[in-house]
Amino acid sequence: MFNRQGIKQQQVKVGGKQLTIIQAPRPQRTSQVATVWGALCSLWNGMRVTWRYFSRPSSIVTQQYPENREHLKIPERFRAQLRLKYDENGEHNCTGCKICDVQCPNASIEVIDMRGESGKKEIDRFVWRMDICTFCNICVMVCPFDALEMSNEFESSVYDKRLLTYQLNRYAGPTKKAFEKIESSADRERLKVGRQPFEAPTPLGIAAGVASGPGVSVAPPSTMKKDDI
Amino acid sequence: MQIWSPLYRPSIWSFRTSIGNREVGMDMWQVTTLAARIQESLLNQDFVRAGIFLGGGLAATVAAVSLLGLVLVYAERKVAAHFQCRLGPMRVGWHGVLQPIADGIKLFLKEDIIPTEADRLLFVLAPFFCILGMFLAILVLPVSPEIQIIDLDMGVIFLAAVSGFGVFGVLLGGWSSNNKWSMLGAMRAAAQIVSYEVSLTLALLVVVMFSGSLKMSEIIQSQAAGWWIWRAHGVGLVAFLVYVIASVAELNRAPFDLSEGESELTGGFHTEYSGLRFGLFFLAEFINMVLASAFAATFFLGGWMPFHLGDWQAFNAVMDRIPPLLWFVGKTSFMVFLFMWFRWTFPRLRVDQLMALEWKFLLPVSLVNLLVGAAVVLSGFYFFS
Repeated sequence: MFNRQGIKQQQVKVGGKQLTIIQAPRPQRTSQVATVWGALCSLWNGMRVTWRYFSRPSSIVTQQYPENREHLKIPERFRAQLRLKYDENGEHNCTGCKICDVQCPNASIEVIDMRGESGKKEIDRFVWRMDICTFCNICVMVCPFDALEMSNEFESSVYDKRLLTYQLNRYAGPTKKAFEKIESSADRERLKVGRQPFEAPTPLGIAAGVASGPGVSVAPPSTMKKDDI
Repeated sequence: MQIWSPLYRPSIWSFRTSIGNREVGMDMWQVTTLAARIQESLLNQDFVRAGIFLGGGLAATVAAVSLLGLVLVYAERKVAAHFQCRLGPMRVGWHGVLQPIADGIKLFLKEDIIPTEADRLLFVLAPFFCILGMFLAILVLPVSPEIQIIDLDMGVIFLAAVSGFGVFGVLLGGWSSNNKWSMLGAMRAAAQIVSYEVSLTLALLVVVMFSGSLKMSEIIQSQAAGWWIWRAHGVGLVAFLVYVIASVAELNRAPFDLSEGESELTGGFHTEYSGLRFGLFFLAEFINMVLASAFAATFFLGGWMPFHLGDWQAFNAVMDRIPPLLWFVGKTSFMVFLFMWFRWTFPRLRVDQLMALEWKFLLPVSLVNLLVGAAVVLSGFYFFS
């Protein structure tokens, strides 16, 4: 048993704040017998704890992955692939402000922006290199528009590492907020320029001067120069 | 009286003679050892029979040791996993039962490396010393009234002598590897085993005093009325606890695994070993654990003797239905599980704590216990005496 005897609690007012001060007693020199008895009790306590784990199959946390793929339990905050948040209209919040790009410790995010129709800056390509990402979550935390999230999509193994370079935005164009001011849906659709996940210009592809991705010929973005990435 | 049941066949499970003193509940069991059978065959000039016994005994021992090794590797991994909220091996065979075989094949196929600077002869010999100590201890192990290799008159002394043999292997392995971690691990192991040997032997001495014999079979027969762990008003229990602590230390298992301490010494004395030689060290460690459990069962839990309560005839008769081999296996498995439970619960001690525990606590306790035990024996003050 953990000895809770002799622990004092008192309420103190410090700088207008009510604080609880917990005072533990100084360890007293105990007799040999008490020490031995305490040691035996604490050993028994430890054994009880491990026995509880041993005797309850429900405490097992192992997941047998390929077999239980249908009903896999992944904690909500598990950090796998990065993605942009989309609403029901398929619109995101990313303005192309490049804060995540600047803050990324591994430089695994490259945000390329462009001048939109209205003359404002808009996102052109959100390139995320999973192969050098450490999933530190900083990009999600620094985003002032709450546009990013870490999803639970963890099955991303590929045979060609160039396939680990994703383009996260499904379209190049204004944000959700900007779209709200546009009435006609035809106008909305006109402003969205489609982007495919594997179209991203990869360093390898650019260096070789050839198309990258899985057999997709990629045109460099209009605003991008050859040395940008 | 002949009682027929599938489990109870008096001719095989128990040899009862008329020597039994029913008044004090002493049932005599006739013990037949392999050595006695061979001797009998030789006296009858039946050399073929003697050869069969010798060869069969040897083959059975080696087979049992290898099989036990496999079973224990699996059991250890499974038990460890469940103590840590995991599942353990699940892929090879049903619930991973073939995992130890896969492990064994892996060890066989691994490259066997001997460091250039190592002392080759000692390096090669060291694992065999460990194995040798293990096999010598098996000699006196009483598995059941019919399964025992030799029933020495000084079985306990023999056991105390050979149980230190394993430290030779550890020390030689650590020394000959020419590696500072191996050396440190070996030195720690030597100091640890030499220290804990003392209180281990003192704990055994209590039982020797109670039973008045050094012979394994007689120690077991003396527990016909009740096991020594509870019959002597706590003296047996204290001796049992001291024995368990000291034998865990002597096995170099957690929480006393200072000689291999992965986090401190990379691998301790077997850092430089690989492949089959490493496997031999591993096997010796596991079988030594079984042996320590088996001898704990023999000395304190009655060995193959069924659980008897004094002269309660009806109760004892029911208990006799369970064959002695099953009793032995059950008690030994319980002790093995206890050792595994310790390993996955307790944190490792520091070197100075280890030595303090032995010399400042266990040794005085076991000495006092020995004195109290002597008083108990002289006054005949135990249950069903």
